[in-house]
Amino acid sequence: MGDYLCHIAIMGGLYLILAVSLNLIIGYTGQVSLGHAAFYGLGAYTSALTAIHWHFPFPAAAGAAIIVAALFGVGLGIPTLRLKDDYLAIVTLGFGVIIDLILLNLEITGGPDGLIHIPAPRLFGLNYRDKEVYLVLTFLCVAFTLALIHRLVSSRYGRALKAIRDHELTAQVMGINTAAYKIIIFTLAAGLAGLAGSLYAHYITFINPESFGLHTSILVLTMVVLGGMGSLLGSVIGAFVLTVLPEMLRTVADYQDLAYGGLLIVMLIWRPQGLFGAGKLSRKFTLRGTKDK
Amino acid sequence: MFLQQVLNGLTTGSVYALIALGYTMIYGILGLINFAQGEIYMAGAFVTVLLLEIYQLNFFVAFLLGMGGAALLGVVLERVAFRPLRGAHPLVPLISAIGASIFLQSLALLLFGPADRSFPVQFDFATIDLGGVPVSSLQGAILGSALLFMAALVLFVKYTKFGKAIVATSLDPDTARLMGINVDRMISLTFLIGSALSGAAGIMMAIYYNATYPRMGLLPGLKAFSAAVLGGVGNIPGAIVGGLVLGVAENLGAAYFSSGYKDGVAFAILILVLLVRPKGLLGGKSH
Repeated sequence: MGDYLCHIAIMGGLYLILAVSLNLIIGYTGQVSLGHAAFYGLGAYTSALTAIHWHFPFPAAAGAAIIVAALFGVGLGIPTLRLKDDYLAIVTLGFGVIIDLILLNLEITGGPDGLIHIPAPRLFGLNYRDKEVYLVLTFLCVAFTLALIHRLVSSRYGRALKAIRDHELTAQVMGINTAAYKIIIFTLAAGLAGLAGSLYAHYITFINPESFGLHTSILVLTMVVLGGMGSLLGSVIGAFVLTVLPEMLRTVADYQDLAYGGLLIVMLIWRPQGLFGAGKLSRKFTLRGTKDK
Repeated sequence: MFLQQVLNGLTTGSVYALIALGYTMIYGILGLINFAQGEIYMAGAFVTVLLLEIYQLNFFVAFLLGMGGAALLGVVLERVAFRPLRGAHPLVPLISAIGASIFLQSLALLLFGPADRSFPVQFDFATIDLGGVPVSSLQGAILGSALLFMAALVLFVKYTKFGKAIVATSLDPDTARLMGINVDRMISLTFLIGSALSGAAGIMMAIYYNATYPRMGLLPGLKAFSAAVLGGVGNIPGAIVGGLVLGVAENLGAAYFSSGYKDGVAFAILILVLLVRPKGLLGGKSH
């Protein structure tokens, strides 16, 4: 496999983890987050800093990244429990902006220049500067994520989540501890985004706050909406399409954001269930009369 | 120093308040946060700047046309991106609004380029000494005209037939329809007014900072939303108070805490308000 193809596949894998974890929040639990890139960034910086300063081996650095991102997920999840929809969106967006500002202003994060010379993973004596080797590592993480989320959403916990999405009050009456579920989902999604961040940091070897801003959060959101909210396969395809297409359409790179914005609106009007959303699930997103709280 | 910062804060705050009014009115009537409000603000500034640059129009004519352009964009946006989605899960129009925001921002980037444009008309603004505080008359003019717009809006909503119809629609669209109010038209009217005010805000900021660029609406838009929440969403006086308080808090935060975190102040306040007093300072619709 050529280096270039490998690069696209690795980035596609990272976005896949991000999209699938965001879909867990949006598509399965019916909550929203516009700050997903902040967790991605927290993971990347944690992993990079522990590896640079304390020479953490990759599994430990990635573990630290997951834990820190997850802790921030709890930190964001608990106070925002009472919020939904628009308010949750704007608070998570604000959270993203604040994390972005912190990364830009702290000394330890290197400010706008970010961090450089992030060591490659050392694991089983393989050379991870080789893109093919790194692709295997990424693939393993993607497989882990997909397996975890697939198991989760097809279990009784997954059904509880969908119940919260479809009607929170009814779910509560049925004995589902909605608060606990929401916090767990926020934490899990944040942790997975942290894992993606860690993989990104050790792959690219230099990071700065630019990669973790609102733009990335929106890109991941577009992937979820394109593939279909509440569809695991959809997010996989969405992440794949939106990673590969921009690469193929380099000549029209200027129009990328224009296309993302337009795509979001067009999808929601004509195919709100996304490319691969199952009809039954998606009806909840289009059905009239779901306004009752 | 302190009074100077307060005054700077009131100036930017009055602009936030104008945008916040748009958010609050639209939220009141549709239950929707129009994420693209900041882009409408940007559009108003661009229309005015381009008219002044290319056609050398009279400043006041260009100002009005800028507001008109923003208003038109708001109405079109509602038709294209929100009306087809009415009655859907609340996440759906929300994401559509985000899409619209990205779309308009990148469209402006393509059309006008990323560079800052300076405001084509230079004003001779004096600095007046007001009890030891130097006040630029530009700040005075912005604050004054913003307050004028707000007063006009409050009077419109309170005393005209259309204003009352908007209030009725936001209270209960079904009953309003039974009373013979054309709900769709009222929603369009709300977008028209809210967008015109945001456009005016954009033009004023374009003069104040002497910079017009495609991404100029992003942060003011988000901050104005925080202002609307702070005052109580759906509450018109609340949006005004919220905007002014936020502007002052932000400037004091930048002056006495750290200027690097200036843009974070609004969001910190937003999160605090939602935790402690979710209905806002003056009380708004519950959520």
